[in-house]
Amino acid sequence: MAEPIEDEIHKEVKAHKILIYGKGTKTMPMCGFTRETMQFFDKYGYPYELIDVLSQPVKREALTKMTNWPTLPKVFIDGTFYGDTDILDPMEKKGEMEPLLKKAFGK
Amino acid sequence: MITPDVLTEFIRKSMPDAAVTVTDRTGTMGHLKETGGSEDFHGKNLLDRHRRIYQSLDVPMKDGRIHALELTARTRDEA
Repeated sequence: MAEPIEDEIHKEVKAHKILIYGKGTKTMPMCGFTRETMQFFDKYGYPYELIDVLSQPVKREALTKMTNWPTLPKVFIDGTFYGDTDILDPMEKKGEMEPLLKKAFGK
Repeated sequence: MITPDVLTEFIRKSMPDAAVTVTDRTGTMGHLKETGGSEDFHGKNLLDRHRRIYQSLDVPMKDGRIHALELTARTRDEA
């Protein structure tokens, strides 16, 4: 029986085309990298969700195991894990981000 | 807090040929930008390259010496 926390994560990842697990909330991000990630997506104008895992240590630990990625923020696009802006920025430079987001939002 | 050369040592232990450049982004030696170039990265996508670097820094990350890290990971010919 899968851990309930993992079920919850799977549901969240499915529910949001762009999902950022980070520190703080949209109105009060508590980490520069979380803010940087929001600003990255603000440029494209697509809606995204930020889920604070500072206040949810069990979920934070489960995410680290599931993604084999030790840091926050953790970004999912269309159900796939993409790390953080260290991965998104080079993808953008190679012109891979626009088509990916278009496909995710069915444009 | 961790100094660039200690951080470089950690990386070299697991990627001896890595060329490492470390820049302290906020003057607190906690936010570091690290550029690693290693032949180990050939054929690995970006996510796996970064996982490789994080693995080599597991100890200082777990004990809190590294608070936040920004990574650039390239092979020598991409550097």
